[in-house]
Amino acid sequence: MSERAFAVVGMFDSAQALVDAIPRVKASRLGRLEAYTPYPVHGVESALGLRRSPLGGMVLVAGVLGAATALLFQWWMSAVDYPVAVGGKAPFSWQAFVPVMFEVTVLFATFTAGLGMLLLLNKLPFYGHPLLSSKAIAAITRDKFALAVEAEGSAAIDVEAAKAALRTAGAGVLEVLPLPAAELAFPLSLISRAALAILASCLVAGYGMYWVVKLFPVLPPMVHMQEQPRLDAQSASTFFADGHGMRPPVAGIIARGQLPYLTKTQEEAAAIVNPLPRTREVLKKGRKAWNDHCAVCHGALGDGVPTLTAAYGAKPANLQAETFREYPDGAIYHAIMAGKNAMPSYAADLTEEERWAIVHYVRVLQRAQNARDEDLK
Amino acid sequence: MSRSGNTAFGALSLMTVVGCVGVVASFFLAQPERFWANWILWFMFVLTTGLGCLFIVALAHLVGARWAVPIRRVPERLSGLVVLAAPVALIALFALPVLYPWARPEAAHHAIVAGKAPWLNIPFFAARTIVCLALWLISYRIFTGGSVKQDQTRDPNFSVRARSFSPVFMVIFALTITLVAFDWISSLEPEWYSDIFGVYLFSGTFLAGLGATSLAVLYLMDRGRLPGITTDHLYNLSGFMFAFTVFWSYIGFAQYMLMWYGNMPEEIFWYKQRIEGPWLNVILLLAFVHFFVPFFALVPRDRKRNPRSLRWVAALVLAAHFLDLYWLVFPVVGASPLFSWPEISFALCFIGLALLWIRRAMTAGEDMPVGDPFLREGLEFRL
Repeated sequence: MSERAFAVVGMFDSAQALVDAIPRVKASRLGRLEAYTPYPVHGVESALGLRRSPLGGMVLVAGVLGAATALLFQWWMSAVDYPVAVGGKAPFSWQAFVPVMFEVTVLFATFTAGLGMLLLLNKLPFYGHPLLSSKAIAAITRDKFALAVEAEGSAAIDVEAAKAALRTAGAGVLEVLPLPAAELAFPLSLISRAALAILASCLVAGYGMYWVVKLFPVLPPMVHMQEQPRLDAQSASTFFADGHGMRPPVAGIIARGQLPYLTKTQEEAAAIVNPLPRTREVLKKGRKAWNDHCAVCHGALGDGVPTLTAAYGAKPANLQAETFREYPDGAIYHAIMAGKNAMPSYAADLTEEERWAIVHYVRVLQRAQNARDEDLK
Repeated sequence: MSRSGNTAFGALSLMTVVGCVGVVASFFLAQPERFWANWILWFMFVLTTGLGCLFIVALAHLVGARWAVPIRRVPERLSGLVVLAAPVALIALFALPVLYPWARPEAAHHAIVAGKAPWLNIPFFAARTIVCLALWLISYRIFTGGSVKQDQTRDPNFSVRARSFSPVFMVIFALTITLVAFDWISSLEPEWYSDIFGVYLFSGTFLAGLGATSLAVLYLMDRGRLPGITTDHLYNLSGFMFAFTVFWSYIGFAQYMLMWYGNMPEEIFWYKQRIEGPWLNVILLLAFVHFFVPFFALVPRDRKRNPRSLRWVAALVLAAHFLDLYWLVFPVVGASPLFSWPEISFALCFIGLALLWIRRAMTAGEDMPVGDPFLREGLEFRL
């Protein structure tokens, strides 16, 4: 054991000489071998016995992870957390997810390839490699081929033995590279200075932005979505002759799932039969719809004594009256659909099912206030 | 010629003859639509495989790919399939009134199809086909004929001329392959239209060329007829195949996704025909054999240079291109995939014919472009 060194470098005149020397020096097992050449030389990798880089596998895993991440992310956003129907497509439409999956796959894969190669496998940042300050480096980057016996970890190398092994293997000029200065990684002073610089630039940028926003007139952001030439609901338009922005439906049009109501008079309506069965669920629905829409005028019991309208002098019908008790179901339905006297049509406010459920419920109210003897048994 | 060679020749001839009998029988017995759909399918397959090989030759000249010089004779010979496709194309013109709605009298009553009449009419269509054929045959003559002549003359000027012609060929190729896609395949449903369809067919064409070239290279290597070709050369062929399986899927999916998003009746019917019912199985199979299997099979580096796995992948890619064409053409004649004796006869006939044709090309002349000044450099190629 003599002086402690980083490496012993031997120079060769040709690529072939270098490749031939590698197994001979390797046999002496003095330390880690590394070749430095002006261009990539065929055969060096296999001669050095370098194992296959794990980068390919890492990139594959990252790519698959990227695809899975993008798929899960979009599935959760579009189908679970906030499903919005776009263009009539199902919330989980894999076709729409593929472009993002593709991009995220590429993103994960390239980042893994780049950062994995630089940081994980090549162990950068690492500056001040001892070879860069050697005498040999000028020749290596020009026309000479170097083989270095390097210290493995903290183990020291036997400099004299390494020199001898390299010389026997045919190396010309030999050079011993001293151990690098203790601080090869980032010195603390540099880290603190960098941190200070980042903090300072954050402060400058933050305050700068604050004053820019405060002092300059706020420019409208991108407003093309708002300012597009379109008709807004319930607004005027100069485009149509009548000045209305909203258009009546085309004559004869029927909304999906709706049938037109062609009955004109209450007498005609008498023939319509309530299609709903008298079940608990239907009556519950009828009570809810009644209380929401009808009770405000007709009263909770249907007796025309409401809480609200009395104050305005209106006289809503007392559905408990004889006339209304003898009304056919269809006539009540017609009153809901077409309105009656001061009562407007409730066709738009209630669904078909709710209307018939109300008819059932009205019958319940009437029966409750006019119970027969057998009801009490 | 060796004994096994004679046996192979006999088997191929027998296969072709049996196939031809079946083809003739299906002309009289099968529905005319089915016969002509088979004809168009095999015309497209033979033509695009040949054109793909011609494209590989031109690409090698264009970019000055030295590694490709030693194997260039293989695609040069295979591009002779374009010559075989010429009479097939001329006969295929008889399919127009049977299979192509725009060529039938009732097209005049269909507003969209009638509007395309200035482009889609039989005289202009035939003229386009003949011009395309002439351009391909001239290009084939320039590339392959010139290269074979160079074997004797050792004239380095041919390499220069081929290099100057290759960009011209690229323009010709881009235009003609688009015409093939639009005219022969897309106009089977003349209401349908897709800008990217030419590129889609090109991606499959290049893959088919690569598959055929790889298979032929491996075949010749097995018989020691390509001395000096290393696994590094195979790696490049695999790499191309690897890249273009992705390209094919990218283009195919891009076309599908836009139409799926738009969901316009005049576009989406084409896909509805091809992804609903039994055809769904075909497109799913296509996704596997045209993308997933070759892609993942070619991911590992060792697989790309392994002759055995490359042989399987190349055969798979070639078969996948055929399935792709089947999926493009056959939905116009059947709501479910047709496969019976007419299809088998056509396969026997055209595969036998094509193999005999290739065999004839393979037995004449040198197996490598020995007159090319870059041959040595190409043989020294290492990754």
